[in-house]
Amino acid sequence: MITLRGLTYAYPGAARPVLRDVDLDIPAGAFALVVGASGSGKSTLLRAINGLVPHFSGGTISGDIRVAGRNPVQRGPRGMSASVGFVFQDPESQFVVDTVEAELAFAMENHGISRATMAERIEAVLHRLEMSHLRHRRISTLSGGEKQRVALASTLTLEPQVLVLDEPTSQLDPEGAEQMLALLRRLNREQGLTVVLSEHRLERILPYADQLIFLAGDGSVRSGAPREMLEAIDQAPPLVSLARRLGWHPLPLSVEEARSWVPPGGYVPDTRDLGQRVVAPGPVQVAVVNLGYAYGGRAALQGVTLEIGRGEMVAIMGRNGSGKTTLLKQMVGLLQPAAGTVRVRGQDTRSVPLEELIRIVGYVPQNPNALLFADSVREELAFTRRNHNLPATLPAGLLDALGVAPLVEQYPRDLSVGERQRVALGAILAAEPEIVLLDEPTRGVDREQKEAFMRYLAAERATGRTVIMATHDVELVAQCVDRLILMEDGRCIADGPVREVMFAHPAYCSQIGLLYQDGHTLTPDDVPGGAR
Amino acid sequence: MRNSYSWLIWALSASVLTLIARNPLYVTLIVLATWLVYLGVSRETPMVGSWRGLLRLGLVIWLVTIPFNALMNHQGEIVLFSFPEKWPLVGGPITLESVLAGAASGYALWALLFIFAAFNLVVDAAQLMRAAPAFLTQAGVVTTIALTFVPQMLASAREIREAQRIRGHRFRGWRDTLPLAMPLLTTAFEHAVQLSESMESRGLSGELTGLSSRRLRGLRAAIAAGLLLLLFGLLLRLAWVPLVGDLMLILATGILVYAFWDMGRHVRRTRYWRQRWRATDTAIALASLAALAAGLVAARWDRTLLAYAPAAGGPLLPAFNTWLGLAFVLLATPGLVLQAAEPAEPDTRDRLADLPGPETGR
Repeated sequence: MITLRGLTYAYPGAARPVLRDVDLDIPAGAFALVVGASGSGKSTLLRAINGLVPHFSGGTISGDIRVAGRNPVQRGPRGMSASVGFVFQDPESQFVVDTVEAELAFAMENHGISRATMAERIEAVLHRLEMSHLRHRRISTLSGGEKQRVALASTLTLEPQVLVLDEPTSQLDPEGAEQMLALLRRLNREQGLTVVLSEHRLERILPYADQLIFLAGDGSVRSGAPREMLEAIDQAPPLVSLARRLGWHPLPLSVEEARSWVPPGGYVPDTRDLGQRVVAPGPVQVAVVNLGYAYGGRAALQGVTLEIGRGEMVAIMGRNGSGKTTLLKQMVGLLQPAAGTVRVRGQDTRSVPLEELIRIVGYVPQNPNALLFADSVREELAFTRRNHNLPATLPAGLLDALGVAPLVEQYPRDLSVGERQRVALGAILAAEPEIVLLDEPTRGVDREQKEAFMRYLAAERATGRTVIMATHDVELVAQCVDRLILMEDGRCIADGPVREVMFAHPAYCSQIGLLYQDGHTLTPDDVPGGAR
Repeated sequence: MRNSYSWLIWALSASVLTLIARNPLYVTLIVLATWLVYLGVSRETPMVGSWRGLLRLGLVIWLVTIPFNALMNHQGEIVLFSFPEKWPLVGGPITLESVLAGAASGYALWALLFIFAAFNLVVDAAQLMRAAPAFLTQAGVVTTIALTFVPQMLASAREIREAQRIRGHRFRGWRDTLPLAMPLLTTAFEHAVQLSESMESRGLSGELTGLSSRRLRGLRAAIAAGLLLLLFGLLLRLAWVPLVGDLMLILATGILVYAFWDMGRHVRRTRYWRQRWRATDTAIALASLAALAAGLVAARWDRTLLAYAPAAGGPLLPAFNTWLGLAFVLLATPGLVLQAAEPAEPDTRDRLADLPGPETGR
């Protein structure tokens, strides 16, 4: 279905090609997963399949590429649109019109498809993606998962043979992501659609994939069956890295496949004291009592009560729209309670001006782009210090702890997503707040960058800083966090040590936790012999 | 689904009448007719909130312009008070007539805004764009994107404002706009790039088919020439030689109509929704056109019938002609139709009623 022969591509002005002499075959009906670090060329490879590269990006391309018998370099994305459907990472910026049905019709109208056919196809696609109930909805009122479903549906109306998706689930909550992937698998199995997608969180997709394409970062591309490839590359979800360390063969790709390796009841914990990873909390830093808040009449928080002590590392999880971000914004004083109270170090957020609160509380928003504006990373951090009337010298070790020391003179907007995320974090930490609030700190961040971030968190834990983060990243929480709070419809439905909450709520449990189900094993490090 | 065309006829008729009838009594009739429409749709769309805000802003602007007009325009007999003559611009008598004239023209402008708001609520912008003739498809797509883009950018602006505030950013001078403007600019740019990638991938670049590149260049040149002729024609007409100007305008219109028509023939495009013309649409169109015709005839016959110009020596109290008033009342027909009808649900019958029947934009 897709054949690349000696494909080499370089972006305009780039010193070296991002894809070098690539040979690749993706057969019809395959479910191919593209992996590699940020900047290794995953998006470039995917965009070459429908001609966005080089038609949209410019640059130089050589070698041969065929997709469904057509040459995307010659035909361009428009010419390929009937054969290749493309879904992007950001659910927000893919739509042209306002309602779901109109959006589905729009591409077909532009292709001059007859009205009868349009009606038929829309009916069929809505039914197949189980979204008939969304038909008349305004797109702006949909959740992220629903939006991605609309984006998928609008490409399917053109009846492509190949579906290409660039990190389609990175901005969705675990449940939304799971549904999206199940849908893709069904389209692949039942309709024979060839699916090619990239994704950072391998654990979600490995069980579905029958081909794994690895970009090493030097322009070279390797491809093969997932099991064989995983033996050879360093990218692996927790389950696979555990299996590799314990020498399980053949490598299990899903929790189901791994079950046979695990003694019933998990490992007996008496050999090691795993305990509950809880640091005895110091004096109360944040106290929320019976907090209520609503956006334009729609309740976002209802009766939330919790206390967070000094030095605690807390994660807040829950579906999109469950109130996580609203709760964080309440803690930094960006929003004020409609009911109940929020106290930060004993002070009511309603009676303390924001200028004073932000000396104690630092909040890193979801989107680092909202923060970064200066000409260099150094300037970005200095700006925060100036605003807080602090001396210009940065706290010792901050740049190193965040891994941004080599980047200080760079232009922040040119950095990768993960690097920008850390610069944004630095821009907040430069004010040396005692409490740090993080909103989705690992969104769109690759494995290496995530590990750097986890090292930073471990260092923070040592300094006694309080860290509270809203996240969808189950594995991150399993590895670094002490306490987990689950939110649903603006209410706090669980609050306790990570192990307790994860094992009681399998939808939020780590892969290793689901495998052992013994109440204490959550990460490879918890398994005897599994630690590095 | 409502028919865009009949409602467009109503909105245009009401707007033209508001422009030629500055008389506040007639304008009030138009405002009342529009009010009926506004009430009729306000139950069914969440967009009412944002328009309500804009209408309130319009009221404030209106109130501000009244003293402005009174200060600048010193015509009239009834002097309220005077500023020393040597004061530039504002010096001289402040008259009741100029206060009233300012109030009346501000009122008419607000009425235009109100008509525009009601029209937008009745027929949503996307629906209107879809109804645009084939040659306007590209312009329609651009406008549609702009309409969805603006609210997204407003949301980004809010997000950026919040993010900088919690970094301790305060607004003290123009230099402090950089931390807000820079992220907004780059966000808008990135968003635009992503959207255009997404559109390209779905084949939405709006290419013309079956048109040789030479002919396309010719047509584009013709459009450019037509627009230039239009500009010069207008200038000539206003300033120097009206007859030559008129001839140039006619020529320019001819060229533009031909070029757009020819381009439109080459846009391969179908329509998913067919707008149905119902009996109520006939009623709306006829009533609106009748009101418009009455107003135009009256204005042609005797300018003072519709005008209100106290500052230019006209009567202080606006005149009112009952027959003309009745003609203006016809503009209330769409509002009455709306009040009588069920709230509009997205109607699948509109789509399926007359299947199959491909309607191409050729």
